[in-house]
Amino acid sequence: MMTKTGEWRTTFLSGGGLRRGLGPRTWTAGLALLFAALSTASAQTQGMVRVRKPMGQKATLDGAAFTASAGAGAEFRRTLQEDLDRSGWFMPGAPGRSEYALVGTAGASGADVSAQVQFSQVAQQQLLLSKRYGAPSGDVRRMAHRVADDILAAMGRKGMFSARIVMVGTHSGSKELYVCDADGGNLLQITSDHSISVAPHWGPDGHLIAYTSYVRRYPDVYLINLATRGRQVIANYTGLNTGGAFSPDGQSMALILSKDGHQGLYVRAVSGGAPVRIFDAPRAALASPAWSPDGGQIVFVSDQAGTCRPQLYAITRHGGAPRRLTTSGSQNVAPNWGANGLIAYASLMGRFQVCVLDPSTLASKVISPGDGDYEDPSWAPDGRHIVCSRTVNYRSQIYLLDTLGDAPVALTTSPGDWYSPAITAR
Amino acid sequence: MQSRRWMMVAAMGLASLVALSGCKPKKTTTGLGPDGGLLNGGRTNGITDIDMPGGRPPGGALEMAGQYIPVYFEYDSAQVQSAERSKIEAVGDYLKHNSAGGVIIEGHCDERGSREYNLALGERRAMAVRAYLVSLGADGVRIQTKSFGKEKPVALGHDEESWSKNRRGEFVIFK
Repeated sequence: MMTKTGEWRTTFLSGGGLRRGLGPRTWTAGLALLFAALSTASAQTQGMVRVRKPMGQKATLDGAAFTASAGAGAEFRRTLQEDLDRSGWFMPGAPGRSEYALVGTAGASGADVSAQVQFSQVAQQQLLLSKRYGAPSGDVRRMAHRVADDILAAMGRKGMFSARIVMVGTHSGSKELYVCDADGGNLLQITSDHSISVAPHWGPDGHLIAYTSYVRRYPDVYLINLATRGRQVIANYTGLNTGGAFSPDGQSMALILSKDGHQGLYVRAVSGGAPVRIFDAPRAALASPAWSPDGGQIVFVSDQAGTCRPQLYAITRHGGAPRRLTTSGSQNVAPNWGANGLIAYASLMGRFQVCVLDPSTLASKVISPGDGDYEDPSWAPDGRHIVCSRTVNYRSQIYLLDTLGDAPVALTTSPGDWYSPAITAR
Repeated sequence: MQSRRWMMVAAMGLASLVALSGCKPKKTTTGLGPDGGLLNGGRTNGITDIDMPGGRPPGGALEMAGQYIPVYFEYDSAQVQSAERSKIEAVGDYLKHNSAGGVIIEGHCDERGSREYNLALGERRAMAVRAYLVSLGADGVRIQTKSFGKEKPVALGHDEESWSKNRRGEFVIFK
C-alpha cells in the first residue's frame, strides 16, 4: 500500500522547471517582462500571504495527515489532491519539512459528504484556512474543487477548479455542445440538435452560453440560458451570423455579421436592440471576436492582409482604425484576451501552436509543446493555465496547458472529437 | 464525380420551432447519455426571433440541391476563377427564366485553418458567387448565402485531391 505521503506525489509534474528550450536565459527582455507580469498578476490578489516564489517554482505541501474514509471521502481527497497538483503551485513535501501543510478529514454521512479542512503555512505557524464543507455525495467532486480554490485563495492565488468548460463534441454523431468541470469531470450534453454547433462562449456569470448553430439550417447566433433551459435567437440576419462573445460586464456581445453585403464586426446589447457596426470589411473575412478585460477593446481575426493569411487586430469597442497585433506567421487565429491582460491565440507553425501575446509590446511566446495541433485557447480564471484543443492524427481532445511550464493534461478522454473549448471567468 | 444529382429536401424550419412545454429540469449527472441534454431535438422554450432584413426562404420552401455544378476555388482565394464562371451563368439563366423563389449559395472550405476563420472564408466565397450573379443581372434579394466553413466536407481525405473538392460553392434552388 502506498504511503499517504506517496499519494501526494504527482505523475505529471516533473520538478517544476520551465519547459526545455524556453528557460529564462533564452528569453528576450520583452518576453521576460511578459511572463514576469503573468507571475505577479497571479500573486498580487491578497495581502494575507505574500508568495515570493519565482515563476514556475513550486511550494512543498504535506498532505499526509489528511485522512479520508472510503467512498465519497476518498473521492474528495483524490479530487482535491489532483486539483492542487494541477494548480502548478505545489510539489509534494515530507512531513515536518514542508512549507505548507493540509490536515483534516473527509467522509460520508448518509447521503452527504463532509470535510474539515485546515491549511497552514508551517514555518510561520499561520493557519490560512480552517473550514468545514458539506454537500450531497453526488457533488463531492465539485465540493473538492471549491476547497482547492479556497486553498489557493488563502495563499493569495486565483484558482480555476470551480470553473466550467463548454465545448463541441462529436460523440453523438453530430456536433453538439457539452459542459464539463475544469478537470473534465461532470460531463453533460447540452444540445441535442442533430445539427452543427460552432464557437460556444460563456457569459460572465456562467449561466449563459452564446454559440453559432445550424439548427434552423442557417448559421445563426443563439443564447442558451442554463438556469431556465431556454434558448433564444441573438442574430439570424441574411448571410453569416457568428461570434457571440460577451463583454466582461455581460451587457454587450460582439458579432460577425454579413447582413450588409459584406462582413462586419458588430456590437449589440445582450438584452436586445440592433447591432452597431464598428468595423467594416468589404473585401475580408472576419472571425473570432474577443473582448479585452476592461471591455474597452475587441481583438478579432481578419484576412485583409491576404486570403488564408488571417491575422489578429484590436479595435476599440466603439470602432476606429484597427491595430494589427501579429506580423509573423501565415495564420494567427482564435484570440482570447485573459483577465491578466495577455492574449492567447493559435499560430500556424507547420502545426497550430498556442501562443501568448502581450498587446502592449506585441512580444509573444509559444506555450504548447509542438506534438500536435493546439487550437482555440481559452484562459483559465487562474490566469496561468489555458484550455485548448489538441489534434493528433485528425482526432481532437481538450487539454489544459500551463504557461509556466508544467506538462499539458488531457481533460477529455471520451470517444469522439472534442474541440472549441471555452472556460468560465470564475 | 460531378454528375448532376437531383435531391429534393423539404425544409424543416418549422420542426425546430416547436415549443417545448413539458421540459422538466434534469439533475446534472456524470457521463454521457444520448439524450442527456437540456435541449432535446432542437426544441426549446422561449425562442424569440428578431427581424431578418432581406429575409430568408420561408420555412416549408422546397429546396433542390445538386441541380447545378459547384463552383471550385483555389486554396488561398475567394475569387471566382474565370473557368468557373459558366457554372454561375447557368444559375443566372435559371433565375432569369424562373421568377419564383431563388438560390442559396453554400460556401465551403477545406479542413485547413481554424473553424471560425473558415466560416468567414466560406461566406466570402459564397458572396463572390453572389456578386457575379448580381453582375449578370440577377436580383440580389433572391440570392441567399450560407457558409458552412469546413463543417461539411464532401471528400474526407487529407490531401489536395480532397481539399480541392471541398473548396466550393454549391447551389440550392428554392421555390
